Amino acid sequence: MGAGDPAETFRQEAQELIEQLEQALLDLEQTPSDRDLVDSAFRALHTIKGSGAMFGFEVMAAFTHHVESAFDQVRKGKLQASPPLVALALEAQDIIKSMILEPDIDNSSREKALLDELSKLVSAEGETAKNGAPAAEAVSAPSQAQRWRINFSLARDALVMGVNPLLLLDELRSLGHCTVTALTDLIPPLAEIEAEGSYLRWDVVLTTDVPRSVIEDVFIFVQDDADLSISLTDLPGEGRLGEILVDRCAVSRQVVEELVAARPPLGEMLVEAGRVAPEVVKSALAEQKHLIREQVDSAKEAKSSASIRVPAERLDELMDRVGELVIVQARLKQLASSNGGAQFKAVAEEMERLISELRDTTMTIRMVPIGSLFSRFRRLVHDLGRDLDKKVSLVTSGEETELDKTVIERLNDPLVHLIRNSIDHGVEGAAERLAAGKSGEGEVRLEAYHSGAQVVISVKDDGRGLDRGRIQAKAEENGLIPPGAKLPDDELFQLIFQPGFSTAKEVTNVSGRGVGMDVVKRGIEDLRGTVDIGLRSGGGTEVTVRLPLTLAIIDGLLVRVGMGRYVIPLPTVEECVELSPQDDLRSTGRSFLSIRGELVPFVRLRDLFASPLPPDPYQKVVIVSLGDSRVGLVVDQVIGDHQTVIKSLSKLHSSIKAFSGATILGDGSVALILDVEHLIEWVMEQSDVALLEAGE
Amino acid sequence: MSKNILSVDDSASIRQMVKMTLAGAGYGVVEACDGADALGKARVNSVNMVVTDLNMPNMDGLSLIRELRKLPEYRGVPIIFLTTESDDEKKKEAKAAGATGWITKPFKQDQLLAVVKKVIG
Amino acid sequence: MEVLTLGLQDDIFALEADIVREILDLVPVTEVPNAPLFVNAVINVRGRVVPLCDLRLKFGMERRPHTRDTRIVVIEVPISGEATIVGLLVDKVYEVAEIAADSMEDVPRIGLRWSPEFIRGVGKRGTDFIMVLDIQQIFAIAPRSVDLTAA
Repeated sequence: MGAGDPAETFRQEAQELIEQLEQALLDLEQTPSDRDLVDSAFRALHTIKGSGAMFGFEVMAAFTHHVESAFDQVRKGKLQASPPLVALALEAQDIIKSMILEPDIDNSSREKALLDELSKLVSAEGETAKNGAPAAEAVSAPSQAQRWRINFSLARDALVMGVNPLLLLDELRSLGHCTVTALTDLIPPLAEIEAEGSYLRWDVVLTTDVPRSVIEDVFIFVQDDADLSISLTDLPGEGRLGEILVDRCAVSRQVVEELVAARPPLGEMLVEAGRVAPEVVKSALAEQKHLIREQVDSAKEAKSSASIRVPAERLDELMDRVGELVIVQARLKQLASSNGGAQFKAVAEEMERLISELRDTTMTIRMVPIGSLFSRFRRLVHDLGRDLDKKVSLVTSGEETELDKTVIERLNDPLVHLIRNSIDHGVEGAAERLAAGKSGEGEVRLEAYHSGAQVVISVKDDGRGLDRGRIQAKAEENGLIPPGAKLPDDELFQLIFQPGFSTAKEVTNVSGRGVGMDVVKRGIEDLRGTVDIGLRSGGGTEVTVRLPLTLAIIDGLLVRVGMGRYVIPLPTVEECVELSPQDDLRSTGRSFLSIRGELVPFVRLRDLFASPLPPDPYQKVVIVSLGDSRVGLVVDQVIGDHQTVIKSLSKLHSSIKAFSGATILGDGSVALILDVEHLIEWVMEQSDVALLEAGE
Repeated sequence: MSKNILSVDDSASIRQMVKMTLAGAGYGVVEACDGADALGKARVNSVNMVVTDLNMPNMDGLSLIRELRKLPEYRGVPIIFLTTESDDEKKKEAKAAGATGWITKPFKQDQLLAVVKKVIG
Repeated sequence: MEVLTLGLQDDIFALEADIVREILDLVPVTEVPNAPLFVNAVINVRGRVVPLCDLRLKFGMERRPHTRDTRIVVIEVPISGEATIVGLLVDKVYEVAEIAADSMEDVPRIGLRWSPEFIRGVGKRGTDFIMVLDIQQIFAIAPRSVDLTAA
């Protein structure tokens, strides 16, 4: 079955089901007490009804429902599969068939008649089918924010049954301002704990304007087995702890007032005095914090949203400091785990969380989506097309890709020039395009995306592409290469970026004065990036600009190959598997793994990196993927998650394609970051070669 | 890393629709046409969630749910069943067998995605 | 001209002092696979990943094992137009000395043990001849794209 219209698939399927139903009914006429036949008929009706409703056959589904219900009664033994019933069912089946395959025919009178007969028959013997339509929910929607107290605990086996309380809490958080307190008072002593049991309770204070039913829906799957309470609270804004506790009926007002007269914090005292359980105080304190934050937030909103101008160098410094904090924190974490006591570890963990939040905030400060740049180009493309009498459209993708603000500004000129080039030299006039079998309108494509520690921006056109002969001739003419020299394509095309290089036969106003491409390249290199130009496989030219991200923090998987450690960007990692001895036995470095029926080419990084040590006994394979390509990287050891700042490699190493950067580990040593895009490309090429060689 | 979902239904059109919906949202989908098929596939694939119909030949949904819960690697994996009736009895049965939640048929693509998101994020 | 004198194998060389940022004892070194032999490692200098160059390899000297005197001289040098921090692995660091600029002589055509292309000139400090390194030349060749398949 192809990737066609599911409704069409349904029609085909329905025909089979109708046939199945018919057979079952005919056989049932002969042997009315055969349970299997009843089941078969029921299932067919059930599926036809269910699928039908999904693919637009609501009327049919509603009709079938009644027949299905009747057969359900038969299954449960409340009704007999009497000859009249089977006869009705057969006629119903005809009607259903007509409804599906001949949608233009009006079957309503037949339908009604049959249903009348059916209900008479069924009510004579058993219960009539209930109408399965769910009652519409009465939604009362107060649209101003209210504050709710929600308390829940899950059934002991909830976790085993696939419930994830964190997701429930996330759902609550998505409804509004939310403060969560986990209560641990029901956790039994260690000896009594079931490893997978759920013992926590949660108190949540939620300020939201959604109706109660929405909050209840969060718990829809667990409410039968969970302890859940949802109540409104309307305490005034400056909730004092005592007020909150009294409101919760945790303690009487008198007791609170008595003790407030003394000095220590109320909560402490109440607990000391045994008047309130510590858990309740903890939760009430959280509610208090929630209330205070609410006030602060609403005060903030009252002011107009403010922004301030900051000199870029200060931001640079700030980001450098944050970067250093991240590195030091990694060392602290390592020290804590090897030397630290429990308290030390707790503090180190808290620091990790705070620094992570700090880093997230600072990283966003200077980043701006490249879309702001792309949108300027629409006008440019339009005007150029008009000036040069060519039809060109601009297609963009990746507008949300973020770059440092200064980088974006400095990209403007180079990109403008590249686009001009594409339209001027690349895209042909309408007549020439049509003659070449292309559409009359040319397309310039701007794409941007993150890849590892870089941002990639490409300018593609579907024009006439690069003329090797002309480029070679011009290069020889300019003395850049000796006559007759044979260079690989990418090197030949790089010559285009040399000063004074232009193969345009006429110098147009727009471009081609020969000052363009070398300025572009220098501009990109000033941003510590690289630019490549090449032919697109479908025709046309592609210019690819790669820029390092200024302060990039990577979530990576730390692995060991031989004595060196390397980081694989986590977003590219799909899974890790062990290299089985059979797969390992192959002697060449290019082999395939079978994962869930799919062949995945893999490469032994130790071979690629010429590691002198003997391999570890149990090698691991990290499966990485980008787009549709998946490749396995064999390593000696997978060490674990690692998060730290990306450092660019210097010019001396930046041309080594295998690595896109480096990072500093907790112990101060350096780990290189693998350029997954390049590795995947390389392995795919090698595996293509291997396949060819193997003659497949 | 993408999340994988095991989709079990004897109806090819439902399977197709579920696969289109989930794959389109970036989930990996492993399909099975009945409980027995699903159990076999469940053993060799690692999935983050199971969506299954209840009425199927060869092993119905309830039995499948029970069998899955016996497997150690399926402890903690959410199992959602498809039900056409708002039949409380069926829901109780399924939950007793070990199901986590349900979707009522007929359902739209958004509803399926909403439940999946609710249950595995 | 102020220079930093250093030892490579048994000879004394010198670097202009103003490009020297700091001098480090040996630190853990991370090898960079597939890099040219001369710069096949990186080190961590105060949170910065810095390439480590083995000057001895530039001169075709044999690689001796590290000794207590082995040092890393961190310099700043323009490479392909960009100021780059680089670490130089040397056998020994002597001192900062003053060489009269006019006492510098051209590199003799013959009689030098080492390839003259990386030496700017020969200066005299007391009775010793000191070969002043031409750092620009040492780092002048920008490496081309290195393929994974190249050794």
